[in-house]
Amino acid sequence: MSKGKNTNLRLNLSDILVTIVIALVFGLVFRLLGPVYDLVKPFGLHLDALLYGIWFIAAPFAALLIRKPGVAFLAETAAALAEMLFAGSGGVINLYYGLLQGAFSEAVFAAWRYKKFSLGIASLSAFAALIASIILDAGYAYLPLLAGWNLILYLVFRVIGSVLFSGLFPYALVKGLEKTGVTQSLRPVTKEDYNVLK
Amino acid sequence: MSLNDRESWGVTNLRLAFPKKKSMLFKDLSLDYHKGEKILLLGPSGCGKSTLLQVLSGLVPDSVELPMRADRHAIPDNWGFIFQDPDTQFCMPYVDEEIAFVLENRSIPRSRMHKLIQHYLDMVNLKLENSHQLIRTLSGGMKQRLAIASVLALEPDVLFLDEPTALLDPKGTVQLWQTVRRIGNGRTLIVVEHKIDHVLDFIDRVVLFNHDGEIFADGPKETTLARYHEKLDDFGIWYPGVWNGYEEKQFQKSDGTFGELILELNHFEVLHQKCVKLSIEELMIHRGEWIAIIGENGAGKSTMIEGIMGLLHTKGKLCWAFQHPEDHVQFVFQNPEYQFVADSVEDELAFSLRIKKMNEDEITQRVDQSLERYALEEQRMQHPFQLSVGQKRRLSVASAMINHPDVLILDEPTFGQDARNTFALLDLFQQLRQEGTTIIMVTHEMEIVSRFATRTLTIDQGKLVKDTLIKSNKGARRLGYGFDEHEHVIF
Amino acid sequence: MDTVLTNTSTLFFKINPSLKFILISSLFIVYLFVQNLNTMIWASLFFLILYYFVSGLSGKWSFWFVLITLIVSLFSASAMILFGKGSHIIYHQSLILITQESLARGVLLGLRTFTFSLIGMIFATTTLPVPFFYSLMQQLRVPVRYAYGCLAAFRMIPIMAEEFMHIRQAMRVRGMTRQKGVKAFCERMTRYTITMLAQSIRRAQRTAIAMEAKRFSMTEKRTYFYEIGWSRNDVYFVIILLLTVALGFVFSSYFPLTPYTNVLDQ
Repeated sequence: MSKGKNTNLRLNLSDILVTIVIALVFGLVFRLLGPVYDLVKPFGLHLDALLYGIWFIAAPFAALLIRKPGVAFLAETAAALAEMLFAGSGGVINLYYGLLQGAFSEAVFAAWRYKKFSLGIASLSAFAALIASIILDAGYAYLPLLAGWNLILYLVFRVIGSVLFSGLFPYALVKGLEKTGVTQSLRPVTKEDYNVLK
Repeated sequence: MSLNDRESWGVTNLRLAFPKKKSMLFKDLSLDYHKGEKILLLGPSGCGKSTLLQVLSGLVPDSVELPMRADRHAIPDNWGFIFQDPDTQFCMPYVDEEIAFVLENRSIPRSRMHKLIQHYLDMVNLKLENSHQLIRTLSGGMKQRLAIASVLALEPDVLFLDEPTALLDPKGTVQLWQTVRRIGNGRTLIVVEHKIDHVLDFIDRVVLFNHDGEIFADGPKETTLARYHEKLDDFGIWYPGVWNGYEEKQFQKSDGTFGELILELNHFEVLHQKCVKLSIEELMIHRGEWIAIIGENGAGKSTMIEGIMGLLHTKGKLCWAFQHPEDHVQFVFQNPEYQFVADSVEDELAFSLRIKKMNEDEITQRVDQSLERYALEEQRMQHPFQLSVGQKRRLSVASAMINHPDVLILDEPTFGQDARNTFALLDLFQQLRQEGTTIIMVTHEMEIVSRFATRTLTIDQGKLVKDTLIKSNKGARRLGYGFDEHEHVIF
Repeated sequence: MDTVLTNTSTLFFKINPSLKFILISSLFIVYLFVQNLNTMIWASLFFLILYYFVSGLSGKWSFWFVLITLIVSLFSASAMILFGKGSHIIYHQSLILITQESLARGVLLGLRTFTFSLIGMIFATTTLPVPFFYSLMQQLRVPVRYAYGCLAAFRMIPIMAEEFMHIRQAMRVRGMTRQKGVKAFCERMTRYTITMLAQSIRRAQRTAIAMEAKRFSMTEKRTYFYEIGWSRNDVYFVIILLLTVALGFVFSSYFPLTPYTNVLDQ
């Protein structure tokens, strides 16, 4: 990596800490959703798949907020690790899902060279995380062996859920946070900011 | 020995701006200091003192990237920094681990760590039975002293202190400054502080800033403070005798008679996780009282008002004289940010009126009135989180008062506020009380208790142990900046 | 028996956390490839026994955790049970089609999730964050910035939980909860989240600055207050874990409880 413009895209301690803390906040808030999530499971109709998207939120949210390489992956991994250390249901499974989802989510932002942070990219990143989860589920949960209509229901619900909860919702949250002013110090300082000193 | 022989550090012609801001915070500011000096930086809130402290230590721009440049930027080799917030200075869960973290950073061999940890704890007089104690079980004052201990582990020559007592109660404040005074011997100290009672005796140089972030005075303590004494009021500084510095108020504090009974508690208990945290045998509160709830940290003061508000589980009799208490009783939290629910000051004020489905004309009228009364007109469209500490507090009181409640309950409303804002708030509460509002507040500030309260409730270990009516009537003194022609408090 | 119980429970705390972490997470790979229902039944039983002996949870909590986890795990397999493919029909009504194959698969899935939850719980209740991250730095060479970042962040969890309570109370006082309906609910959730995030982000930034003010360096060499090493306990742990896994496989071949040795067979 060449010096100069790219140097300020490196993660500093504050970026790392903020990213991990964000992951924990989501973990905490969604812990409250946990019971709701478990309650809709029993009917086999994949209503839980609608809510499933919420688990992808940490990655796109952190990326939209901090706008640097690596934060999406770090956020999702930290969330998974926390889940494992605090004994969330599923235990070690979360770690693998977290790693893969984080990597897929990150890849989308990387593909646009960390220059685009629009609603579309956020949704795409959520969709990528969804693909990751489906890959793992195919092996883990024998997806291909579900009745056709049921499988389609599952897929449709997951897509809707992921775009809604992990594309739209984090985008709205970041917009809301921007109004509070706390996001300002998270973003890289630009040349224009230095121009004020002249 | 002349000053020039000693090591000196500082900045020359510093220019600094916050990102996305049109103007500079500092324009060509210079400040030099020498080894062994003890300097106090004073100025109005928002003038950039804290930022300057971070520049002097090199935290800006090394850890916090801000657009800045300076002709000279000399940073001492060994420095330590104490921050304002006791909760955000630590990264480890236990006391010993936190100091060890610093020793690890310095690559001190592990075998020496235990002894050193005890050494630094002793230096700040932090006596714990076992140094492997959870930091979060310490009081705010103890946390700040731990912060000092962990910074001492850096063996610093220069100490930067950024309002270390702003979030401490009076007792913690005294202890902290005693500690600083002791450990400051032989070190250079640079202090930013609003409460200067206990700071003045060990400081030798004072630097004064104006609202535009410029230094307008810099010199020895005695002469500088004497010359610019009136500026201290202007900046909202808590200096010795600040409470006495105001003339007597024209109206009487209380005549000992109050209105009708509005709240009755009988065999009242507040529960938390099925344990009784607070119990009150009997308590009657009347219209127009100003009740101060006092007691040690953790005695159950906040529990009491949260119980009265119905925020915690309670047992026993809690009887308001109103059919719908939620329309008549308002609560202001210690941290105003928790209770902000809208994206602008204007909407924040209108929020509870909209819930009541009041018509928009009436809402606009009431909001305008409030904005004027609480001096928030210019902030009308701003996000509540972007306001200054004082403005946030005013907004939280304003949004509670917009419903014209009969009772206003406040959890340490003057906590962390500068003198100026505190006096203005007190004037306001006094005015509200005379209009018939009952004020119930938790406070640590005994000056408020003795000057304003008509009654004090002392809580100790979860029990109401004392209930005193204050009938004094020298009359409360005139505080704050007085009233304008509409009898409105000037903030 | 009692002495064994206390010994094992302390034993699991003394194991090198990195070793525990690696071995326990690699079990995921092992059981991902188990398609034999009998193996899964025996494995979940043996891990239940292991859990019983080593879990750091108190009895009452432990019981409820196991029960709830078991129910939730089986629920999560309900789609497979009710709507899976298969030819030996047990029950058929409109869309619901329970076949022997799908039932076997569903039970296997449920038990697998259950087993992973137990394993996760064993790890979670016998591992303290501080030694865990120290070990990650020392044995697995995880960069210090991430390890201390996690430690600093985890320290904030109790503060965050308390803050969440306060925010909820404050919003109640402001009348936020008086509005009903889905829209109001969403608005409330967003407001909670934004307030929580704003506070936490600021706190994280301040903590990061305070850490750097204490000369935390992301690159330079450092010493460690805790040195996490190896001990004989680690050997015992490996043996216990291997034994538990092996017993599952052995019992399934000697005492097959069901005829489903490969649930993927049509």
